[in-house]
Amino acid sequence: MGQFDALFQPMNINQLTIRNRVVSTAHAEVHATDGGMPTERYVKYYEEKAKGGLGLAICGGSSVVSIDSPQAWWSSVNLTTDRVIPYLQDLAQVMHKHGAKIMIQITHMGRRSRWDGYNWSTLLSPSGIREPVHRATSKVIEPEDIRRIIGDFAQAARRVKEAGLDGVEISAVHQHLIDQFWSPRVNKRTDQWGGSFENRMRFGLEVLKAVRAEVGPDFAVGMRICGDEFHADGLNHDDMKQIASYYDNTGLVDFFGVIGSGADTHTTLANAIPNMSYPPEPFLHLAAGIKEVVTVPVIHAQNIKDPTQAQRIIEGGYVDFVGMTRAFMADPHLIAKVKMGQVDQIRQCVGANYCIDRQYQGLDVLCVQNAAMARETTMPHVIEPTAGPRRKVVVVGGGPAGMEAARVCAERGHEVVLFEQAPDLGGQITLAAKAPQRDQIAGITRWFVLELARLKVDVRLTTPADMPTIMAEAPDVVILAVGGTPFIEQVPEWGAEDGLVVSSWDILSGKVEAGRNVLVYDTICEFSGMSTADLLAARGSLVELVTDDTKPGVAVGGTTFPSYYRSLYEREVIMTPDTALHRVYREGDKLVAVLENEYSGQQEERVVDQVVVENGVRPDERLYWELKADSVNQGQIDIEALYAAAPQPGLSHRGEGFLLYRIGDCVSQRNIYAAIYDALRLCKDF
Amino acid sequence: MFEPVIPYLFVLAVALAGAGAVRRIRMWRQGQPSPVPLWQGLAAMPRRYLVDLHHVVARDRYMANTHVATGGGFVLALVLVLLVHGFGLRTAWLTWPLLAASGLMAVGAAFVWKRRRLAAAELPDSALSRGPWQRLPKSLLAFAVGFFLVTLPAAGVLPEGIGSGLLAMLLLVVCAWGLAEMVLGMTWGGPMKHAFAGALHLAFHRRPARFGGGRDTGLKALDLDAGKLGVESVTDFKWNQLLSFDACVQCGRCESKCPAFAAGQPLNPKKLIQDMVIAMAAEEESSYHGNGHPGQEGSCRSGAPGLPMVDSILDSQTLWSCTTCRACVEECPMMIEHVDAVVDMRRYLTLERGKTPGKGPEVLANLIATDNPGGLAQASRTHWAADLSIPLLRQTRTTDILFWVGDGAFDMRNQRTLRAVVRLLKAANVDFAYLGDEELDCGDLARRLGDEATFQRLARANIHTLNQYRFNRIVTTDPHALQCLGTEYAELGGEYEVMHHTELLAELHRRGQLHFTGNGKGRLTYHDPCYLGRYNGVYDAPRYLIDQLGFERTEMERSGFRSRCCGGGGGAPITDIPGERRIADMRVDDARAVDAEVLAVACPQCTQMLEGVVEPRPEVKEIAELLLDALVVADAPPAVRQSTEEESAHV
Repeated sequence: MGQFDALFQPMNINQLTIRNRVVSTAHAEVHATDGGMPTERYVKYYEEKAKGGLGLAICGGSSVVSIDSPQAWWSSVNLTTDRVIPYLQDLAQVMHKHGAKIMIQITHMGRRSRWDGYNWSTLLSPSGIREPVHRATSKVIEPEDIRRIIGDFAQAARRVKEAGLDGVEISAVHQHLIDQFWSPRVNKRTDQWGGSFENRMRFGLEVLKAVRAEVGPDFAVGMRICGDEFHADGLNHDDMKQIASYYDNTGLVDFFGVIGSGADTHTTLANAIPNMSYPPEPFLHLAAGIKEVVTVPVIHAQNIKDPTQAQRIIEGGYVDFVGMTRAFMADPHLIAKVKMGQVDQIRQCVGANYCIDRQYQGLDVLCVQNAAMARETTMPHVIEPTAGPRRKVVVVGGGPAGMEAARVCAERGHEVVLFEQAPDLGGQITLAAKAPQRDQIAGITRWFVLELARLKVDVRLTTPADMPTIMAEAPDVVILAVGGTPFIEQVPEWGAEDGLVVSSWDILSGKVEAGRNVLVYDTICEFSGMSTADLLAARGSLVELVTDDTKPGVAVGGTTFPSYYRSLYEREVIMTPDTALHRVYREGDKLVAVLENEYSGQQEERVVDQVVVENGVRPDERLYWELKADSVNQGQIDIEALYAAAPQPGLSHRGEGFLLYRIGDCVSQRNIYAAIYDALRLCKDF
Repeated sequence: MFEPVIPYLFVLAVALAGAGAVRRIRMWRQGQPSPVPLWQGLAAMPRRYLVDLHHVVARDRYMANTHVATGGGFVLALVLVLLVHGFGLRTAWLTWPLLAASGLMAVGAAFVWKRRRLAAAELPDSALSRGPWQRLPKSLLAFAVGFFLVTLPAAGVLPEGIGSGLLAMLLLVVCAWGLAEMVLGMTWGGPMKHAFAGALHLAFHRRPARFGGGRDTGLKALDLDAGKLGVESVTDFKWNQLLSFDACVQCGRCESKCPAFAAGQPLNPKKLIQDMVIAMAAEEESSYHGNGHPGQEGSCRSGAPGLPMVDSILDSQTLWSCTTCRACVEECPMMIEHVDAVVDMRRYLTLERGKTPGKGPEVLANLIATDNPGGLAQASRTHWAADLSIPLLRQTRTTDILFWVGDGAFDMRNQRTLRAVVRLLKAANVDFAYLGDEELDCGDLARRLGDEATFQRLARANIHTLNQYRFNRIVTTDPHALQCLGTEYAELGGEYEVMHHTELLAELHRRGQLHFTGNGKGRLTYHDPCYLGRYNGVYDAPRYLIDQLGFERTEMERSGFRSRCCGGGGGAPITDIPGERRIADMRVDDARAVDAEVLAVACPQCTQMLEGVVEPRPEVKEIAELLLDALVVADAPPAVRQSTEEESAHV
């Protein structure tokens, strides 16, 4: 009867009844502390998803079973010790309390790790071939290692079962040790562990048998595999079907998790966690192909972000469970909202990949839009109305900081007015969305627009706010989130004052038309410069992208720079690293850009039609200085309170006067996450 | 003097009335046989009149007092007139009481007049009928004043033979007029018919259990082997149903409470009853002087006993507009059963003609094929409970409480209610189980849409399932299931103790098995579901529970037994007969009128109907949801191990 009925059909995995078809699949959270223990932060991160209604969470991406598979680089769960059992018990208990099921991924990463720290492990792989993403060398694994590791898998599974979790997922994906044995690309062995299909399957089979022998027939044991490695010399889709069918025939596997693409080169890694440049569910056909040949449920996660899409996939019978892993980071309550008929209130993942790009740097996984994600101990996902006074809050600026501040204040029950000088909300997000392949980032704004309307925030667009405008509102609190302006005046020789250079904003906004022959100079090396070059090239400009940093886009994360590179190389953009823009001058109707190599000091000139400079944002402090002296708190944020997630002391002020706070790029350029996090932690106690 | 004429006049009146009575009784006997206890019924009649009927009339103090004065004065005066003027017993013991009685009647009649004058001014908003009914107060006065004056000489107040011949003649005409209206009119079809038919109707009522404070709301089972199923022409009704229609006093209380009428749908319950009377007496619509069915004013139809009623006197849309809310039945001072009549006629249209309108055929086909109105897989009936581990009765075989889930199991909105109930039952450590996918639709919808065959099939199947297990009580969140299982299955051999979840939860709270915080804020109003309130008399348990939560509870103008239907009953959302407004919108307006922030509901239909009203409107919350929000949970959440290096983890 309902629109989402297919999602809410329970399904069994072995003896386990999963209440719906929506899964958070295994990902490295980088949240397991104390030597790989799922402590409070970890448990609460998952509890929020369970509260939000998901069916099954498979936690602990790359939870290691052996001590020579390093755990600490990514703070993954350490299954090598019984010490983990009570921590996992906490997790199981909390998930079950809310009706969700919880499993954990278990693995040995083989060569896919780093050796230069912690135990200084000697990494292992079937034939000792180097892994490029982690720049990892490894030794050729010996039969003694193999037997030890098979035993370690079984012991890890025992710990998981003893802790009361509902199952394990054996990772044979992303080129972990098991699929290193599978792939002839890296398995060159001639003994019983390599060569023929049977031999290459042997290690995985022995692991499965050992695990099954340990946990018994009724405990859920699954396997995560890829649907196609996307390497000419790797395992293709037919190979993977053969492999899946082989293991399925053993009857030892209760489910398969399938993703498209290998992950042992930078470009295949980008496929594995598709960012916003990919279409929806780009590799569903691979998972569906595996489903054709196996008899047990198939889980698939890759760019499945909204419930309508998920419903369509399940209804179509492509797979049995959809993984909505990033979708649950953006909004852990998405299933609850579907059930409440509040689909419009779901904060949808936009594929910015802030989460995974932090993870590959060993940083804790965070969501660019949702600052409460993985901060459940201090930050609320659901903002409760205040029990204190109802305040008049004036927010100036409708970028991410201002929108989040307005949202949180309105949820608290305050009267909120938001001034935005542009005709739309979004701030720099609006600019970012202008680039090819980046349009989906506007989804962040879309959600705020809907929420602010729902919360009846008085949004006044095309309304620049000055001091009298603000004071006319008789505010109790003023939040400045006005952002800044492109900082192209930093080097006078660039000639910004004479109009010799334009900013990336000018190009992205369309204010300045693309030149025919363009030099883009990017000192920031994040999204803005890459997007500008990509947009210009897409419009037919001849583009050279120059940076004084070590490579263009060096600060763009590992799953996103490949999509820029694919596009820039295809459009024949020249990329010139290690080179500073020294000076620009006019010669006839052309511009001459003088470049200087950072290391040789050698100068060269380019004759172009247009020079575009991306040099970051200069905060706009004008309004702040006008208001500061009159404010009760002199515009100061108490950072001790802020960092402790405690209320600002100024909030106890009663009577005349207003409190003044400024957040986001109008203080100092940071990113969307920083803007939203500051807005949330500042305003949640108003 | 004309006094000697009076006995003859009286005898003539009684004789003519007797002839009228024979004619009227013949009219009723055109109906189908329905055995009644003759003497027992007649013996019970005075008490039914003086207690049960008066109980309903007394809801309107003005009218109750007026009727006591007028009716009481009349009956007394009539007896005394017979004695004083008929038998010439002119003792002061009789003449003075006669003066008092006729005087009392005159006072009552004056009030009737006053009421009617007001009504005339307020036409056409008034639910009162006009025509002969406007004449009635004058006739009453004529009788009362006429006999009062005639009796004055007998009482010795005035000398005998006073007044000229002309004056005496005038007085005679007045008395004759009074007698004609009051005595002849009883049986020949004037407004006073209500007294004659009404008295007999009370004696031979089809639902005697309604008297003495009882409740009898279950539809009566149809014999599916009968030659004709349901009611086509007026003579297909039982004879005592025809009698009941004739008892109608056209007071319009039903009309003023009917939600479909208020919504401008083509149903006026008063007119519906008069349509039966017109058909039974082979009259024309012009003999009716009240408001018509909305949208059908000015029609000029006629009826006859042998004619199919639909398309002669009735439009089928009138029958399908009814939500079966029983507001009319509850309001009717003559205790007429409008809903029975509507369903009887729907049965004919559905079972004999296949003419269920709107989505009706689709829904009935679904019920036939899939045992639920949505046409959904029976296996999906338990999906809502996949993570709740509720014991299955198929496995436990025995339980204290059987949780009857209802078709709300398929609906995501109602699943919230169901899940809340389950959590509450668990919190109270109740021993309960459910039937899972063995449960079928209870049959309410099929029955109200006239598909008695499907109802009986579903009911028998459910009874067969229920009878395999042992349980003490059935609990359901669905008042329609409550009505079917608790009341209507009995006729088919399924007798169970069934209660609404609010009743059980109130019981558990009273016993100390549930505790709630009283932190509710704001104004809340409670909407009584028809099938919980009027059908099953449950008004207190929901209010008791709400009062534990700390809200400021306020009552809508129409609440309790006068609650206005949400528009969701009787298959009305499925037949979807157009009107000028939606019933649900009007109901939410009632809630807005008392500035409610929360509209508490206790029925899946009501939830759906009222939540379907466009915002801004009060938040619609099922009582179980409100309770769960306020539930005090005894056990503390499990401790979670803190990290020693949490700071560094929050990079």
